[in-house]
Amino acid sequence: MRDAFSSYHPTVNLAYFAGIILLSMLLLHPYFLVFSFLGGLAYFLRLRGRGALRFCFLFLLPLMAAAAVLNPLFNHAGVTILAYLPDGNPVTLESICYGAAAAGMFGAVLLWFACCGDVMTSDKWIYLFGRIFPAQSLLLSMALRFIPRYQMQAGVISRSQACLGRGATGKGILRKARGGLRILSILTTWALENAIETADSMKARGYGLPGRTSFSLFRFDGRDRIVFFILMGLAAAAFWGLAAGAAGIRFFPSIHLPETTPSVVAIRILYPVLCFLPLILDAAEELQWTYIRSRL
Amino acid sequence: MDVYQIKALSFTYPLASRRALFLPELCLGKGEFTVLCGRSGCGKTTLLRHLKPALTPHGESAGEILFFGKPLAELGLREQASRIGFVQQNPDNQIVTDKVWHELAFGLESLGTDSETLRLRVAETAGFFGIQGWFRESVSRLSGGQKQLLSLASVMAMQPEVLILDEPTGQLDPVAAGEFLDMVQRINRELGITVLLSEQRLEAVFPMADRVLVMDEGEIIADGSPREAGTRLEAMEHPMRYALPSPMQIYAGIKNNLPCPVTVREGRQWLDRLEIRPQVPASAGREKPDTLQKPDPPAIELREVWFRYEKPLPDVLRGLTMKIPGGVLYCIAGGNGSGKTTALSVMAGLLRPYRGQVCLGGEVLSGKAAGHGGMRLSMLPQSPQTLFVKSTVRADLLEMLEGGAISPGEREDRLRAVSELTEIAGLLSRHPFDLSGGEQQRAALAKVLLAEPQILLMDEPTKGMDGDFKLRLASILKELTGRGVTVVMVSHDIEFCARYADLCCLFFDGGMVSEGAPGSFFSGNSVYTTAANRMARHVFPEAVTAEDVIKRANAALGSR
Repeated sequence: MRDAFSSYHPTVNLAYFAGIILLSMLLLHPYFLVFSFLGGLAYFLRLRGRGALRFCFLFLLPLMAAAAVLNPLFNHAGVTILAYLPDGNPVTLESICYGAAAAGMFGAVLLWFACCGDVMTSDKWIYLFGRIFPAQSLLLSMALRFIPRYQMQAGVISRSQACLGRGATGKGILRKARGGLRILSILTTWALENAIETADSMKARGYGLPGRTSFSLFRFDGRDRIVFFILMGLAAAAFWGLAAGAAGIRFFPSIHLPETTPSVVAIRILYPVLCFLPLILDAAEELQWTYIRSRL
Repeated sequence: MDVYQIKALSFTYPLASRRALFLPELCLGKGEFTVLCGRSGCGKTTLLRHLKPALTPHGESAGEILFFGKPLAELGLREQASRIGFVQQNPDNQIVTDKVWHELAFGLESLGTDSETLRLRVAETAGFFGIQGWFRESVSRLSGGQKQLLSLASVMAMQPEVLILDEPTGQLDPVAAGEFLDMVQRINRELGITVLLSEQRLEAVFPMADRVLVMDEGEIIADGSPREAGTRLEAMEHPMRYALPSPMQIYAGIKNNLPCPVTVREGRQWLDRLEIRPQVPASAGREKPDTLQKPDPPAIELREVWFRYEKPLPDVLRGLTMKIPGGVLYCIAGGNGSGKTTALSVMAGLLRPYRGQVCLGGEVLSGKAAGHGGMRLSMLPQSPQTLFVKSTVRADLLEMLEGGAISPGEREDRLRAVSELTEIAGLLSRHPFDLSGGEQQRAALAKVLLAEPQILLMDEPTKGMDGDFKLRLASILKELTGRGVTVVMVSHDIEFCARYADLCCLFFDGGMVSEGAPGSFFSGNSVYTTAANRMARHVFPEAVTAEDVIKRANAALGSR
């Protein structure tokens, strides 16, 4: 099932991902990191379902573990020395903490990028670009049409050549490479030949006339406006906290956390809301449906 | 007022010695449904492209074309884009964008239509064409018929006054072609839009047309209602008469004074008025196909073959069992998705069944596609363009002979033999992509035949081809089967199968439902059969082709 946040206007989607990815990168304080990471992970699980777990265990966790372990091995700054490596360099508490924070940040950013890739489908990018660069946006749309088409045609050619015993299969790398080159050569000729007809079809429908407009199915509704303002408010608060030093952390030479003031508390409450915004919207919609159903 | 008025138009392609087009005078009336027919290469496309300046080919032209009384050349780009709609043959090449809704809007975007109007027009068009169900779909997931319908809809969204279609159903199967042509007819009837359509499937378009133009060598040789044009072709004994709807062909073969029938229904009524007594079929009931009685091992045998493309997907072949005897032309007919092409790929060893056996010449085809069970097998794929590698037909053919231990002299001999057989001797110095569709098909066939196959598999060889090509192909195939080559052909072309096949079979839902010689096969079907048979089955149940009906009717009338 599609989640609620994906159905919002592309501007809202893009603004959200831009904000959350930037904040995940900048907020290295463990409290915020935990929420960036958990928010990203939860939303990713919501988007991909069970398939997401495989990604997390096979790819994300090993990568994060490597980042966390490698940092203290190569970074020796910090005042709290815990042990010495065989080569005589110190292992410090600060570099271990910094490594863990960096790994957390890395994981959170990767997760948010993965979510962004799923939510920001090609037509949303085309729409957003089309406002600024109409010609390039059409080009993108055409590329998205032709890539699957060429892939399919390459398959057709490969099968045809296999009929003649000339496919990209068979024994030996050289034979395979030669077969592959043949397929590529045929594909190129075919593509150039067929592009003439595509060009005719574009010309026949007036492509190239001045004053081209860009059509899309997206509309900026009332709910988009509300969510957009909420998200802007939350992001602004987080950035303000960052600038004021309330959300920052210093690792070297010794770890220093900001003092707990009312503004720090406020930001600590608001940031998790931002991280879980897509899931909150989703849950709200779910509740609404249950409510409607219960009244029937 | 006439939509188009053409006066003394002539056109010659650069470097060509002959005129491609010569029209002393031609008018197209408002709201008319005109069908343009003729053999391939007769100038149909050249004429159609002259009616839309943006697509007019380069060359030397003279004469005048008026569009609503004004010279067409003076029509601005913006105006001709919206007022003259043009649909081409290949559904894939015409679609530009990746989403259905975007393609619908493409033309209107070019015209600079504002968002509100655009939304309305796209909605209206999608509604008229029944596109709502797949409005947000990716173009790559559509079927060929849907793609062509989308091309038409995207042109219609610009609200043209005249719609020009250049063999729009050439790449479609009969069911999709029928749906597409019905839509064109609706556009003409319900919206009153002038339609000019070039088409090979005359059986389907003649009943719709108000007017038929027949072209030959760049000139119009017949012009009038479908009936008049048909009668005129018959009177001229023009080769195009074999492409006419079966009722018209049969009518011409029998001496009578009744009006000419166009549709199967009219044909049946006409036969009734001739008062021919129904013939009882020679053998009542269905005889067993004679394949089973042949003693020698069949060229191809499939034993309970099951196949699916991927584990979670449904089965495509479900326990398919078939025997194809050697040296025959065997046609596999059936609807879309019935597993015809898959069966062909399984025979070729390109796909491996997960259950069951494939035997070639009595030997079980082992897992490796390399050993074809002792029989040489070649397959002609659906699109001939995927075979050509070199820049001339000659080099392309010679390339097939590379690697083997053959002397140059022998290579030349084999090249000559195969190019004579496939009638491409005159085309050897041309670039394969410069050939017409039919010529490409024959060159591809030549290439495949150079491997000297004992079994030849063909996938839809007559798709989008004119009657001329079909005659040639039939004679080539006859020659091949005469030499003992087994030809297996997958085809939607019932008329071709009925006329030339030795054996036919019908596929449905991954299995074979019936098999037999064309006569008994088609007379046993009641819907999936030739137009001639549908028209005359109440009188001559065994007559399958137009010639059969004519012969029997003349015999019956003569004996009276």
